[in-house]
Amino acid sequence: MTPLVNLLVFVALLLTLLLVWRQSRPARLRLFVAQSAVLALLALTIGLFAGRRGLVAVAAVFLLVKVWIIPRVLARIAAQLPVRPVTPGRSAGLAVLGAGALVVLAYVIMLPVVGAADPARRLPTTGAIPLAFAITLIGLALCVTGRDALGQILGFLALENGIFALALLATWGLPGLVEAGVFLDVLVVVLIMEGVVVELRREHDSLDVDRLRELRG
Amino acid sequence: MTLVLLLLVPALAAAVLVRARGAAARLVHGAAAAGTVAAGLRVAAEGLGGPAPVALDGLLRVDALSAWMVGLIALVSGLAAAEAPRYAEREGPTRFYPLFHLFVFTMLLAVTTDDIGLMWVAVEGTTLASVFLVGFERTRASLEASYKYLLICSVGIAMAFVGTVLVYFADVHLLAAGGAGEPPALRWTALSALAPRLPGPVLQVAFVFLLVGYGTKAGLVPMHTWLPDAHGEAPAPVSALMSGVLLSVGVYALLRFTPIVDAAVGPGFARRLLLGLGLASMAVAAAFLWTPRDYKRMLAYSSVEHIGVVCLGLGFGGAWGTAGALLHVANHALAKSTLFLLAGRIRAAYGSTEIAAVRGLLTALPGTGRGFLVAMLALLGLPPFGLFTSEVLIFGAGFAGGAGSAVVAAAGLGCLLLAFGGLLRALGGMLHGPAPALAPGARGPGALVALALGLLVLTGLAWPPGLAGALERIAAVVGAR
Repeated sequence: MTPLVNLLVFVALLLTLLLVWRQSRPARLRLFVAQSAVLALLALTIGLFAGRRGLVAVAAVFLLVKVWIIPRVLARIAAQLPVRPVTPGRSAGLAVLGAGALVVLAYVIMLPVVGAADPARRLPTTGAIPLAFAITLIGLALCVTGRDALGQILGFLALENGIFALALLATWGLPGLVEAGVFLDVLVVVLIMEGVVVELRREHDSLDVDRLRELRG
Repeated sequence: MTLVLLLLVPALAAAVLVRARGAAARLVHGAAAAGTVAAGLRVAAEGLGGPAPVALDGLLRVDALSAWMVGLIALVSGLAAAEAPRYAEREGPTRFYPLFHLFVFTMLLAVTTDDIGLMWVAVEGTTLASVFLVGFERTRASLEASYKYLLICSVGIAMAFVGTVLVYFADVHLLAAGGAGEPPALRWTALSALAPRLPGPVLQVAFVFLLVGYGTKAGLVPMHTWLPDAHGEAPAPVSALMSGVLLSVGVYALLRFTPIVDAAVGPGFARRLLLGLGLASMAVAAAFLWTPRDYKRMLAYSSVEHIGVVCLGLGFGGAWGTAGALLHVANHALAKSTLFLLAGRIRAAYGSTEIAAVRGLLTALPGTGRGFLVAMLALLGLPPFGLFTSEVLIFGAGFAGGAGSAVVAAAGLGCLLLAFGGLLRALGGMLHGPAPALAPGARGPGALVALALGLLVLTGLAWPPGLAGALERIAAVVGAR
C-alpha cells in the first residue's frame, strides 16, 4: 500500500505545482478537479487496504463535494470573467520556485512529527505526511498571493485538500462527526463566498482584490 | 438536561425565525434570548458550583472553565439581543434574527463540547454564521469587511485544524502503541488524561498551528487584520457579540490545549508563545489607539489590546495570572459590549463613525453620553471597575514571576499607558464641545447598560461570595500551579 499512497500524494503535489504555474482560469479549475479526484482515490486506497469502510464513504462524499458541487459553483463565479486575468502576469517561474522552497519547508516542519512516531508501530502512510503538508503550504501561498477572489478561493480549496490528505495519512480518518462537519464547512464557505463575491462584483464591477481598499487605519 | 436545552433554544429559534416576520419574529427573538440567558446562567451556576454537568454521552461537558464562558455568552447575548430589534427591522424581511441566534448557538456549542474536533467545527461555524451579519448593511465597506473576515478566518481556522489533526495523530499513535481497548478519541477529558505520555515534538508543532488558527479568531497580532474591519462595519449588537465574547471563544479554544501541551512538553513552551503574541498585540493596538479616527474601529483595536492583556495573564501563569486573565475576559466582555451598543446609538444619532464628527455628546445625548463615559472609564482600567482589579492581578503576577516576565510586564504596562492617553483624548473630544441638533429617537433602554456597569463595579469593589472559589476551580482546569 505504501508505494501506491506515496505515488498518489506525489501526483496531487505535482497538480498543485501546476496550479501555481498555469494562469488561465479554466485550466486552473480543471487542475483543482484533478487534484480532488486524486485525493478521493487516496481515501479509497487507504480505505480498501486498511479495511476501513468509513473511508470509502468519505471518498464518495469527497468526490461529490469537491469534484462535482464545488467546481460548478466556481464555474458560476468564473463565468462572467475573462479567461485570463487582465493585468499582465507575474513570472510564473518565480512562483513555482517559491512553491519548491515551500516543499522543503514542509519537510523541515513535519520531519520531527514523523520522527516522533515509533517506527515499529507507526502507520505505514506516515512517510507521506510532509508531501501532504507541502500541498497545504502551497495552497496557503496561493490564497495569500491570489490577485482576484477566484484565485484566493482556489488557493483556500487547495489548502483544504492538503489538510484532508494530511488527516488521511496521519490518522486514517477522523471521527465521523468531525469529518461531516469539515465537508459541510468547506461547502458552506464556498457558497457564502459566491454570495459575497456576487455582491462585491455588483459594487465594484471586478473581482480584483486590489480594489478592496476602502477600510484603512 | 438544562445543558441540552441551552443549545436547543437558540438552534430552534434560528430555525423558526427563518420563516417568522414582523411582530411574531420580534416575539420569538425575545423569548429565545430570554431562554438562552436563563438556561445559560443556570448551566453556568451548575458548572461553577459542583461537578461538571454532562449530556449526550459525554459529548457535552461543562466544567468550571466552560461554565465561565457559558455565563458570559449568555449575559452578552442578552444585552445584544435587547438592542437588536432596532437594527433588524429596518427594511423588509430580514435574515438578522435567525443568523443572530445561530451565531449564539455556535459559540455556546464551541464552549460546551468536550470533543476538540466538534469544538473546531463550532468555532468555524461562528465565522459562517456571522459573515452575513457583518455585511448586513450591504454597503461597499461592509461587504469588503465580510469578504476579508470570511477568507482570513477560514484560512486561519484551517491552520487550527492542522493542529487538531496532529494532536489526534499523537493520540492515535499512542493508543496503537499501548494497545488500550478504548478507541482513540478527540475527547478533551481522554486527551488530558493521556497528556503526559503524548510525544512532545508533535505537540509542539501542533500547538504552533493551534495558536495561529485560534489566535486568528481571538484577534491576536499579526492575525488580527480582519478584526477592525469586521467590528467596525458590523451592526452594533453583532460588534458587541464579536468583541465581547467571540474573541474570548478563540482564547478559550487555546486554553483547552495549553494544559495538554504543558503536560507533554513542559510548562515554558506555550507560555513563552502566549507572552510574545500578547505583547505584540498590545504594542500594535497601542500604536493605532494613539491616534484613532473612527470610534468603532477604536473600540475594535482596544479589543486587540485587551486580548493581548489576557494572553499576558495566561503567559505569566500561576494562580494569579490565570485568575486575572479569566476575570479580565469577563470584565472586558461586559465593558466592551456595552460600549459597542452605545456606539451604535451614537452612530444612529450623529450619522457618522468619525470621532471628529461627534461633539457635545454629554449635552446632545445625556443618557447615552454618560453611559459611554462611565463604560470608557471602566475600559481604561480605572478603579472602582473590575478591569482595574484584573489588570492588577495580571501585572502583579508578571512582576512577581522573575526578571524575564517582569520585563514583559513593564513593556505591557507601557503599551497600556500609551493606549490610555489616546483613548482619553478621543473620549474628551467626543464628550465636550458644541452639541449639534440631532434627529430624535436615538435613545435606548438605560437599565441594561446600568446592569452591565453595576456588574463591573461588583467585580472591582466587592467580590460576590463564590467568585474567588469559582476562579480557583477554573485555574485548576487550566492546570495553573
